[in-house]
Amino acid sequence: MKRATWWIAVLAAVALIAAACSSDDSSDGGDSGGSGAIAISGSSTVEPISAVNAQAFSEDTGAGISVAGPGTGDGFKAFCAGDTDISDASRPIKDSEKESCAEAGIDIVELNVAIDGLSVLTSNNNSAVACLTFNDLYALLGPESTGFGTWDAANDLAAEIGGTTQPYPAADLSVTAPGEESGTYDTFVELVLEDLAEERGQEAATRPDYTASPNDNVIIEGIAGSDTSLGWVGYAFFLENQDRVQALQVDDGTSGCAEPTPDSIASGAYPLSRPLFIYVNPAKAEANPSLADFVDFYLSDEGLAAVEQTGYVPLADYTDVRARWEARETGSVANP
Amino acid sequence: MTQATHTATGIDLSGDRRRRRRESVVRGLFLAAGLLSVAISLAIILSLIGEAWNFVKGLIDANDLGALWTVGWFPRRGLYDIPTIVIATILISLVAMVVAVPLGLGAATYLSEYASPRARRVLKPILEILAGIPSVVLGYWALTFIGPDVVQRVFTSGGVFSMLSAGIAVGVLITPLVAAVSEDAMRAVPQSLREASYGLGANKATTVRKVVLPAAISGITASLILAFSRALGETMIVFMAAGAVGGSLRTFDVLGPGQTMTAAVASLATGTDQVAGEGLAFQSLFFVGLLLFFFTLLLNWLSNRIVRRFREVY
Repeated sequence: MKRATWWIAVLAAVALIAAACSSDDSSDGGDSGGSGAIAISGSSTVEPISAVNAQAFSEDTGAGISVAGPGTGDGFKAFCAGDTDISDASRPIKDSEKESCAEAGIDIVELNVAIDGLSVLTSNNNSAVACLTFNDLYALLGPESTGFGTWDAANDLAAEIGGTTQPYPAADLSVTAPGEESGTYDTFVELVLEDLAEERGQEAATRPDYTASPNDNVIIEGIAGSDTSLGWVGYAFFLENQDRVQALQVDDGTSGCAEPTPDSIASGAYPLSRPLFIYVNPAKAEANPSLADFVDFYLSDEGLAAVEQTGYVPLADYTDVRARWEARETGSVANP
Repeated sequence: MTQATHTATGIDLSGDRRRRRRESVVRGLFLAAGLLSVAISLAIILSLIGEAWNFVKGLIDANDLGALWTVGWFPRRGLYDIPTIVIATILISLVAMVVAVPLGLGAATYLSEYASPRARRVLKPILEILAGIPSVVLGYWALTFIGPDVVQRVFTSGGVFSMLSAGIAVGVLITPLVAAVSEDAMRAVPQSLREASYGLGANKATTVRKVVLPAAISGITASLILAFSRALGETMIVFMAAGAVGGSLRTFDVLGPGQTMTAAVASLATGTDQVAGEGLAFQSLFFVGLLLFFFTLLLNWLSNRIVRRFREVY
């Protein structure tokens, strides 16, 4: 009996050691060293486009491509650490991110793949509001609105700023929107809040007390869950959920109320339109022919059809973008 | 050692050198094991203190100590209101105690005083199964059942995420702890005390209330304090069910979302480290961890004092 126990112990030890030693070479897509695997991470707004193209490409060529959407900020962090091959971004790269990439010796090829209309959403059951100006959005969502639990709590602030559509109804104000990891958050602050915040000597940020989530589907759930909710996401997520949420018209103070439609976004009539980018690591494209092929596919007509398919707006002309990729031109045009 | 190994007539019984060496090696191993646990506790404190001090120094340098007493806990915006997370922790723990004390003590009393041996054989394992449920499962249950079906039905103004639903789930988590330790304390009361009470004509309920419970009070108090400190340190349930993952305003409203100290640390450790503004968010994690450590230390000390005071020696 004692001998049997001893043998069982030895076998168990061998099994454990074998399991421990063999687990490091399982690739989860993050390891792209020449094995053909590609790692894409970053904006959850651009994620649908990358995911469609990744699936089509891997069906054709069998390459393993992983696509994640933790947020533009988190995506750049991984990109500048050399962990990902392509970084999706719903805003241009920031100076601090350019610095950390430069410190790590990583070049960036910036490719503008689509245009998005940042949609300000409320529940479908909300009939009290139809159009909000930038000043309205500041009064409801800006840095001075912390603690406003109802729409009418913002009436005084709105009266002070002027250029608003107040008085607001006396209803619950539940805000669900992306958090600080998200490029959508940064774009909203930059386009809507920054100027007025600077004028009033406030920090350029939204109010901190809202339900933040990096997952756009969770944001849609949150907005659909309350009758008088408010939030903002990329246009594609609004299109997918038009039966549960409605997009408010937005007025930047000069061009009147505009609704987000592919035409108004492309022409710039809708004031919250922004470019969507993919940033590629050219060194990794050299080392991994699969990666270079994938970006070629992405920028081909077939790949760019994914932009419209997912609900975003294609650029009028992709010649410049394709030329940048052909030449592997590094640096950022949007934030030089 | 030499004293014990010499007989009265001075003959050395300690054995040969090899035997003594083996004994001292074994003694050394066990001593090392004991010292290792002390060393680990010290290492934890030291690692927390370093970054926690950096956090406080960072605030002092930025002339921003006021961030520790402000409108709410939003670490990614530079707002570090400590009372917010402390209040939420205590509120949820109190709700948990309100749930666990009646249920736990009731179960313990039944199991120790009223249950037949067969009933005890069935019920005690079931109670232990409840203790074995992973906290993440309880958190998910709070989110999908307690929140919508219990809290929102009774209090229509509550949301799906609330401190009340998280507190109820934590109460369910700590009930087996209260029940098990209290039951052991009550069973340790000598049968002679009970028989003396019956002999004087008291019925069972009076005996339990006036003789058994007071005799077991130190063990019961120990169980309550143990359960309270378990509730204070519970992370997964409050992280999932209490909401406010990005931060919360200072609030006493149990029906609304809130963020406890443990959930704040979890959210900082697992969430994004993108911040708007200056970047002391990650260091605040160590500060809150140290605070939590000291809270638990305080509770342990308190429990030792109380238990020693009330201990009845039979």
